Amino acid sequence: MTGRPGDAPSRPQEQCPAAGPASAQAMASDAYAPTAPPRTPGATSTPAGAEQRNDGYGVTWPRVLHSEWAKLWSLRSTWISLIATCVVTVVLGMAVAGTYESGSADSDVGPVELTLLGTQFGQIMIAVLGVLVTAGEYATGMIRATFAAVPRRLPVLWAKATVFGAVAFAVMLVTVFLTFPLAQGFLSGTDMEAGLGDPGVVRALCGAAAGIALSGVLCLGFGALLRGVPAAIGAYIGAVLVLPEVAGLLPYGAVDDITAYLPSKATYALMATHHGPDLLAPGPALLAMGCWVAVTLAAAALLIKRRDV
Amino acid sequence: MIRAYGLTKRYGEKTVVQDLTFTVRPGTVTGFLGPNGAGKSTTMRMLLGLDAPTSGRATIGDRCYAAHPAPLCAAGALLEARSIHPGRSARGHLLALAHTHGIPRRQVTAVIERVGLGEAADRRVKGFSLGMGQRLGIAAALLADPATVILDEPVNGLDPEGVRWIRNLLKSLAAEGRTVFVSSHLMSEMALTAEHLVIIGRGRLLADTTVERFVRDAGLGVIKVVTPEAGRLRELLAGPGVDIAGDGPDTLRIGGSDGERIGRTAAAHSIPVFELTPHSASLEEAFMDLTRDAVEYPAHSEAPATAHGAAA
Repeated sequence: MTGRPGDAPSRPQEQCPAAGPASAQAMASDAYAPTAPPRTPGATSTPAGAEQRNDGYGVTWPRVLHSEWAKLWSLRSTWISLIATCVVTVVLGMAVAGTYESGSADSDVGPVELTLLGTQFGQIMIAVLGVLVTAGEYATGMIRATFAAVPRRLPVLWAKATVFGAVAFAVMLVTVFLTFPLAQGFLSGTDMEAGLGDPGVVRALCGAAAGIALSGVLCLGFGALLRGVPAAIGAYIGAVLVLPEVAGLLPYGAVDDITAYLPSKATYALMATHHGPDLLAPGPALLAMGCWVAVTLAAAALLIKRRDV
Repeated sequence: MIRAYGLTKRYGEKTVVQDLTFTVRPGTVTGFLGPNGAGKSTTMRMLLGLDAPTSGRATIGDRCYAAHPAPLCAAGALLEARSIHPGRSARGHLLALAHTHGIPRRQVTAVIERVGLGEAADRRVKGFSLGMGQRLGIAAALLADPATVILDEPVNGLDPEGVRWIRNLLKSLAAEGRTVFVSSHLMSEMALTAEHLVIIGRGRLLADTTVERFVRDAGLGVIKVVTPEAGRLRELLAGPGVDIAGDGPDTLRIGGSDGERIGRTAAAHSIPVFELTPHSASLEEAFMDLTRDAVEYPAHSEAPATAHGAAA
């Protein structure tokens, strides 16, 4: 089984299920000749030569990444979602800052959390885009073409997660580093005044981008697991947005401890500058998000490997 | 070269494909025939590793499809259901697939031109007609210049010009030494393009034969001759491999011969011939005879009507 993306193309024979004596024999004699001559047009029957041409074409990990990169940017929905995410976050941040009066915020809200209020919306847009990256392929049937091109399948999942995670992180990083100074322009003289040099601010801004990107990748995993856009968005709403709110109402202390590790709380903890008792510290929060993503992607990988498409 | 060994696919209780063993050779067009629901698409998906067989296995070239370092070079496929994201342009779709194999941009342009999508290449697939979508699917199949081409119902949705284009394309692909495996539920279409036939019904192999042999075994190629000297012509034509049946006093049904020979024989002996009709329209009938018991949802049009008539 292709465990890591890097080893995908290197061992071509291992995955042939139930390879019998006939194919074993064939494999022993073929030697994966990359030097096999190109087929001459008009040649009538050259089975061996025709079957083994190579032309330097072949699936490699960087090529699968390139393909997923091209797929992401060749859809209009990507541009719209990412631009909208950026604009909404910046505009809302400035609106909140422009109307802020000292003392009106809750005691556990710091200057970064306040200016990044718009990420509440941005987060949802990134999540939906993450769902579309995987579930969108199942919905349109594109997944069959994708898996016909990369029949090992798992490199596709890793490539999607890598490309989308990196793009979402980069876009969110630009967004928050744009939002914070712009919003701070309205906050000088209030109790929310802060600069990039203040302790914890840069970390919280980077944390915000990382947390939102990771929850986007989590949703990408939901999409791969559930194979449908509505189902995956439902899972996001239920498990990520609603579950912590419901759990928070339960009168058990142990539940609160667990709630802190849930994706939405962990994401918030990553962008917080004031860490109250019910928020994780940034390190454990990042670890928690990483675990959620890893578990979801691992489950998706297991099913992708086994299911028919 | 495609080889299937005992391919079987079950979904719970239902067996969709049962113990299919066949070989598809390079250099010819092989038709994959069967009524709707016979298991053609499932078989093709199993060849490409998209569906895992319950038992048995299939190889393309010398190994199973997924084990090729460059799968798109081993086999290019047009699948029955659309497998294209409608939000992408034709070029965008093909480029995304090309990148996985390191296929250069000019090859994508070349294949777009080859299928005649040049002007629509940068439009979103959303607005494509059925025929254009089919052409794009074929472009994807030919993208990596594959040794084996697998096409599931390629003529679906194509206009007559497109159908003719497909026929020529298939023949030229085979002439280039490629293995060409094409499914259809229309015998008449396959008779025009394929040389070899793999026929299935209800997931089982019914025939693995050549078109020529299928025609002969089905007792087709019979010529109907109407002449007042039927007895004499019959004696003159009799010989090894020639099968003559009387059908009324003036009518003969002659198999294993051809119109030219019958006509010349008759002329040489001054036998008047009123009618000389090759009976070839029933290729489709022979196919239907073969698959009659294997049709998933047969239409009963005549039998019930007669029954009702009798009751009334």
